[in-house]
Amino acid sequence: MTLLSFLTFIPSVILGSLSVNLIWTEKSLSSLPLKLSLGVGLGLGISSMLHFATLHIAPGKVNPILLQVILVIALSIVTYYKAGIPKFHNLRLPKLSWLQWGLLIAFIASVIVSILVFVNYVISRPQGALDAWSIWNRAARFIHRDPENWIATLSPDIALLRHADYPLLIPLNVAWGWDVVGNETLRIPMMQSLLFTLATIFLMFSALAFFRTVGQSSLASIILIAVSGVVSSGTYLIADVPVTYFIFASGLLMYLYTQRNEFSFLVLSGFMAGLAGWTKNEGLLFIAISPVALIISSPKNLKEAFIYYLSGLLLPLLVILYFKSIAPPNDLATNSLTDMLRQVMDPSRYGIILKSFLSTLQSREPILLFFYSLFMWRDFNKDHLRGIFVLVIMFSLQVLGYGFIYLITPYDLEWHLLTSQSRLFMQIVPLALFLCFVISADPETLFLERQKKIT
Amino acid sequence: MKYIPALQTGIRIILVVLLFLFGLSNIKQILTASMNIGDTGSKELDLWEADMQLVREALPINRGLVGYISEEDLEGAEFAYWDNETEFLLTQYALAPLILKKGLAAKWNVVVLRDQDIEQWLQANPGEYELINIKGRFNLLHDLSIP
Repeated sequence: MTLLSFLTFIPSVILGSLSVNLIWTEKSLSSLPLKLSLGVGLGLGISSMLHFATLHIAPGKVNPILLQVILVIALSIVTYYKAGIPKFHNLRLPKLSWLQWGLLIAFIASVIVSILVFVNYVISRPQGALDAWSIWNRAARFIHRDPENWIATLSPDIALLRHADYPLLIPLNVAWGWDVVGNETLRIPMMQSLLFTLATIFLMFSALAFFRTVGQSSLASIILIAVSGVVSSGTYLIADVPVTYFIFASGLLMYLYTQRNEFSFLVLSGFMAGLAGWTKNEGLLFIAISPVALIISSPKNLKEAFIYYLSGLLLPLLVILYFKSIAPPNDLATNSLTDMLRQVMDPSRYGIILKSFLSTLQSREPILLFFYSLFMWRDFNKDHLRGIFVLVIMFSLQVLGYGFIYLITPYDLEWHLLTSQSRLFMQIVPLALFLCFVISADPETLFLERQKKIT
Repeated sequence: MKYIPALQTGIRIILVVLLFLFGLSNIKQILTASMNIGDTGSKELDLWEADMQLVREALPINRGLVGYISEEDLEGAEFAYWDNETEFLLTQYALAPLILKKGLAAKWNVVVLRDQDIEQWLQANPGEYELINIKGRFNLLHDLSIP
């Protein structure tokens, strides 16, 4: 069943990777891992939207795998006619130094350990965290067990804290996965979560390996596994790691745009931002703040940049808007406008939120990485600085957005902070770590400098 | 003065090594923690789900609203809030795509109460009911006043 569950998602991953390859036509070998890492999330996003569409057109009557395979074949044909049989330049593996081999082997070992950790947790807690079965898999069961009446999952009669309004990317994938394997095995949500967890790690690795060095990407990925909590959170089988992945993917693609001026990165960035919103409501906040980062990323070609970004964002955004038009209101909206205003005007709430946020930011890991980035600061040109500023703005605005949500929450503020803040911060940790390692000098340069000085 | 860049590079190399070791040490801790996981309540969850499967099979409907009556509906009863809430959520999970609503909310209602508590509830909520015991404290209450 584990192998079958794994194989179930393969067509989605191929579909996503082919889509990335069609949009971003880079042919260097170093772009392949990045395309695959982006393809995992993009594919799972596309497959969920396809299933959402079939629920409206012919619920329970379309074989999701067959549909995906047809699309894979169609995309392969389009790719062939567009570019012929793909010929990637420099197909030889890059020659690595002893330092790079050492870091790369440590990274591979860390990934193996991550998989072991994941397996240990899901064996002892196969249903995942409370939210996994009471929100996400509950919705998946509504869709899988009664596809003709899938809309029942949005019933306002469902308990308020079970969030019937939450977007459906995760439950839809679980539901069609169950359709394919023929039963409600927990291996399907586990496999989806493992894919997102590993894709987040490989996104860090492949992005930094693509435009920096293997040493820097290995080090950054090891630190991501070590401090972000992405692996243990992945075992909860909830939507936090997927939304983390999409926020990270969208941010790093916008960063890549500032470095390479290729609009294809903005199309993908927009799509990933849209999928963040289709995964969890925090993703909607990210969609709202991303235009500010876009303005910074492209001050000279703003109009063109917006068009490309929106062309990527449009499809998931339309799906979200339609979904929100039929979903019950969010629990945060239960607060009246007067209450919200009263809370916004209450200075003590700002103090509580600030204190709580600072308690996270003042812990060992953020301080260590802050000083590491400061000491390892390297020289930048204008484009590099613009890219860094894009990441800083994204991170800062997302944190401010979280702060605002806490400010207007209808729940007891301290309870709400206690139960959700660490998860929210985890969603932006990969983006922050990426920023740290973009700023920092890479190990190769340092060791090379030292060797030069010795010789 | 010419030693300053060399010193800076040396410090930076030490920082890289320290960060690398810090990362590996953290990963080792994560692995150790994953090998010492306490009771996660997974078995209880499976048991509840198995019992609720019997309730699901006994219910004559597979769409719509179902009520849920528990200790929360007994006047003056003392109960553990989160245990009760978790049981409600587990029942909703098990009975999907039926929509579970707390209280006597529909023609068919799941009752998770011991016999003496059921008596107390019936006295407080008189009506025309059919009570079907499924297993232990799991019952179905058919509200005959609803056509």
